[in-house]
Amino acid sequence: MSKKKSKQVDTSLRQFIKDLGYVSGGAALLATTPWLQSFTPDKAKEMKKEKARIGFIGTGSRGTYNIHAVLSLQHAEIVALCDIYPPNLKEASGLCPNAKTYTDYRKMLESADIDGVIISTPLYLHAPMTLDALDAGKHVYCEKAMALTMEECKAVYDAYRKTDKVLYFCVQRMFDKKYIKGMQMIHSGLIGEIVGERCHWFRNHDWRRPVPSPELERQINWRLYRDYSAGLMTELASHQLEVCCWAMQMVPESVIGTGDIVYWKDGREVYDSVNLVYHYSNGVKINYESLISNKFNGMEDQILGNKGTMNLATGIYYLEDEAGGKKSGIEQLIGQIGNKLYASVPAAGPSWRPETKEKYIPHTILEGEFHVNDGLSMIGALKDGSDEILSAFCQACITGEKGKNIVEEAYLATMLCHLGNQAMAEQKKITFPEEYKIPYMKFS
Amino acid sequence: MKDLIITSRQLKKEIYIFSACFVAAFLTNIVSIILFKTPWYEVFTQIGYVIFIALFLYLLVILVRVIAYMIRKLIKQITHGN
Repeated sequence: MSKKKSKQVDTSLRQFIKDLGYVSGGAALLATTPWLQSFTPDKAKEMKKEKARIGFIGTGSRGTYNIHAVLSLQHAEIVALCDIYPPNLKEASGLCPNAKTYTDYRKMLESADIDGVIISTPLYLHAPMTLDALDAGKHVYCEKAMALTMEECKAVYDAYRKTDKVLYFCVQRMFDKKYIKGMQMIHSGLIGEIVGERCHWFRNHDWRRPVPSPELERQINWRLYRDYSAGLMTELASHQLEVCCWAMQMVPESVIGTGDIVYWKDGREVYDSVNLVYHYSNGVKINYESLISNKFNGMEDQILGNKGTMNLATGIYYLEDEAGGKKSGIEQLIGQIGNKLYASVPAAGPSWRPETKEKYIPHTILEGEFHVNDGLSMIGALKDGSDEILSAFCQACITGEKGKNIVEEAYLATMLCHLGNQAMAEQKKITFPEEYKIPYMKFS
Repeated sequence: MKDLIITSRQLKKEIYIFSACFVAAFLTNIVSIILFKTPWYEVFTQIGYVIFIALFLYLLVILVRVIAYMIRKLIKQITHGN
């Protein structure tokens, strides 16, 4: 990643909360987003002018993205950098000339001059590094997903329950304004009862990065190999499954699915095409699809209600009674008469009438301009909540306040990803295992 | 070619028929506003549809009258022929 100017980002959490319509007490906002209670204007005052001392473990593409975000914060300073890949460490050091550099993260964790660490390494390292950092008495922010296996997820969760240290995972949609507002609308009944959820993530990219020499293939292209990665599920689906559960305020109890390598037959071990159906106890389903050899459908998180549809990824919602556009009374009457005439034609029965998709009137979740993640970037989208959650973590490093529900949301999202992978591998319905359920989860 | 003369009586008749069609179309608009709970300003904004429906009804009435005329003519021919 080339050197860039520090991002001019206003990550003032105080302003962020105000923009969400927080009014004194904020009951309505905090009911949908309890994790924001740590960042209300009253809490922000506690920070005064302190700065969190942050160390980075992993300074690759995502690590550098995070470095830029933290550099723009008033309440954080980067004091340490660690990476085993020299070119990445050198580039990061150029951005943070005063930060001490390490090649062994354990040595870095021994430093008393670090309050918190930000882990941006391959998935298989998330659990060991998180556990080591918590043991070393550091606050931890780790990129998604939580861990490579279900066992590791449980170990991290159990460690979190015991520690007094802050632990965050990068579930950035929890801090994305359009998702927060959208969820408020959903939970207030705007789209009625949720009757289905559809998420997809389509790209046209082989996911590969340039490799200077063959022995670095598995280190640099770790996403393609099962020893290091859980593929499309943890890299992409984890965000969307978390959103679905957030909307439903429930966790699916089972999953079926199928995965294949359809196009990118280049020696990779993870699927490049996945289709899954997660099933809630009330019959509602999440239909999930991801394909990385065609980007026509982009990325969408659709919550389907009997009264409307919320597309959180695009920041737009539609209402069922506006199907076909806002028709006048006389247009609707003519339409009804026309439908009755079609229905009365004996040939071929009701199927004679085509049911093509109707046009709906789009309504935006947020007023004014807002960013939409097109899902194409391998590093991260602009204004997708990443800056806000990083800012929140750095504030938490100062106040010592654990973020509410963040670890739990990351846990359930990652578990659902692993269950999906298991369903695809075993080609059978997988039910959420009892031993991995936690009190936070609601299944009915 | 004969001159076509439209008497004032015939013109009045057509005006009454079209007016009845317009009133029917107008009332249809009112009923649809009530049935589908749409705004009352549609009384004015949907006037295009009202005129269209009025014309449609008027043409329908013309068709019925033409058919009735042809039937009457056929009956006359049959009875005179007998």
